[in-house]
Amino acid sequence: MMIFSLTCVFPIIWMFYSSLKTQKEFSLNIISLPQNPNLNNFVEAIRIGKMQNYFLNSVFTTIVSVSIIVILGFITGYFLSRFTFKGRNILYILFLSGMLIPVHGLLIPLFIQFKTLHLLDQRLTLILPYVALGLPLAIFLFESFIKSIPVELEEAAFIDGCTLQKMLFSILLPMCRPVLSTIIIMSFLHWWNEFPFALVLIKSDKYKTLPLGLANFSGAYSTNYTQLLAGLVIATLPVIIVYFIFRKRIIQGMTAGAVKG
Amino acid sequence: MAGNRFNVKKKTIWIALSPSIAFFVFIVVIPLVLSIYFSFYNWSGGPNMKFVGLENYKELLMDGDFWGSFRNNLYIIVLCVIGQIGIPLVLCGLFISRTLKFKEFHRTVIFIPVVLSAVVIGFLWSMIYSKDMGILNLILRSLSMEGLIRNWLNDPDIVLRSVSAPLIWQYIGVYLVIFMSAIQGIPQSVLEVAELDGAVGFKKLRYVVFPLISNTIKVAIMLCISGNMKVFDHIYIMTGGGPGKSSMVMAQYAYTNSFEMFKLGYGSTISIGILVLSMTLIMLSRKLGGAKN
Repeated sequence: MMIFSLTCVFPIIWMFYSSLKTQKEFSLNIISLPQNPNLNNFVEAIRIGKMQNYFLNSVFTTIVSVSIIVILGFITGYFLSRFTFKGRNILYILFLSGMLIPVHGLLIPLFIQFKTLHLLDQRLTLILPYVALGLPLAIFLFESFIKSIPVELEEAAFIDGCTLQKMLFSILLPMCRPVLSTIIIMSFLHWWNEFPFALVLIKSDKYKTLPLGLANFSGAYSTNYTQLLAGLVIATLPVIIVYFIFRKRIIQGMTAGAVKG
Repeated sequence: MAGNRFNVKKKTIWIALSPSIAFFVFIVVIPLVLSIYFSFYNWSGGPNMKFVGLENYKELLMDGDFWGSFRNNLYIIVLCVIGQIGIPLVLCGLFISRTLKFKEFHRTVIFIPVVLSAVVIGFLWSMIYSKDMGILNLILRSLSMEGLIRNWLNDPDIVLRSVSAPLIWQYIGVYLVIFMSAIQGIPQSVLEVAELDGAVGFKKLRYVVFPLISNTIKVAIMLCISGNMKVFDHIYIMTGGGPGKSSMVMAQYAYTNSFEMFKLGYGSTISIGILVLSMTLIMLSRKLGGAKN
């Protein structure tokens, strides 16, 4: 079992330590540990590969998308769980279908649509699909969680003279903390790693996210393995850090999302 | 209206819901409608759009490459169901035995690949598979099993198996965790009685645990099928569908047609084909699984 687990994780460990080797050292022995660990590859990856640029784009796109997903998901989840109105069930099913549709079927039509509307290749381009496709899961998690919070709480807030907005954001939202953190972490992981939409919708270097930047990077410097490895580490490190901090919640969230979806 | 203490008007509800609806309609509904529309045209992105009626669909039905890529999808699905479901089930057996130490450590470690980007995984495995510089061939050489050395990603006969390995490797963690949480739902007393009756080790797993979590296993198989219908990133990075078309999958085929050959109309038709085939397969697997949800 120990051997199995270590085999599982070895490629990742290998990626980390190999990124500290020089190109020459790497080609002499692929598996050996680095003799003189140095950060040259990272410096080069940033200088030539413009990794810091992709990194910032990824940070920007992910943060904006996740924030919008959380806010809209919360509001939508609240109204869907607390009110019955005409069209509510249709809406519910509509959003549910968003979790079932194979997104790759949308790539090409979305490209055509964005091209016609001149939405391709801009700073905010990727945020649109990320939000739209991230919303369903957020809506459902919020919806089912809010259902479990007693309505009396809202009634009490109303009697105390609280407005709807104030009740939503300063009473209800803080109460949703468990599901809120799940949504934030899961969306972060998902959209940080997203590749096909970025590939299809973004062309210029200025707006590329990390996964796309990497794909590109290897095309231009296909022989320089150690630099590519450094790039992979740059893309992976934030995810690994988040994973080790929120391990329990991620494992929980993945299974909950998987079993529901 | 339960909870309507704030005198919320219908209008307010719709105003509050409208941003979400707008996002969703704009990104999911309109493109779906558009793709049906474009699938009737011959179009390469320029001003010339030619209405061809059902020609594209006829072409799609006769398109050997498309069906070949569908077959590749199916092949990958079969391998992944075996690997992604089978390996975690065996691991479960080790996890519920009392002799295994550091369970938390194993779980954490096996789950790590799940959170990585498919692009990173793709590159990492390209390096593992690389013919002269790859870890795999190096290990085979050092074990003096030169006979097994292959050009893993360049040999049409084995490339599908080669690209499935990283997929399996990445997602073992998900299914392991799903099965473990199902097993935790089994009352301890049941397992103890089974042990008293002589069901130990893999017997316990086979005759007691598996039947009790069979519903979870079915759900996992469905997840596995729908997940692998849309495999794209890994293959795009590792082989781009090659060599030739030997590792072409449907999503890659749609991509190649639309963005390398600029057949946007036909690309839309392929997209519809993907949607229909995936939906059918998912529904079919649900029917066969007899699941209610």
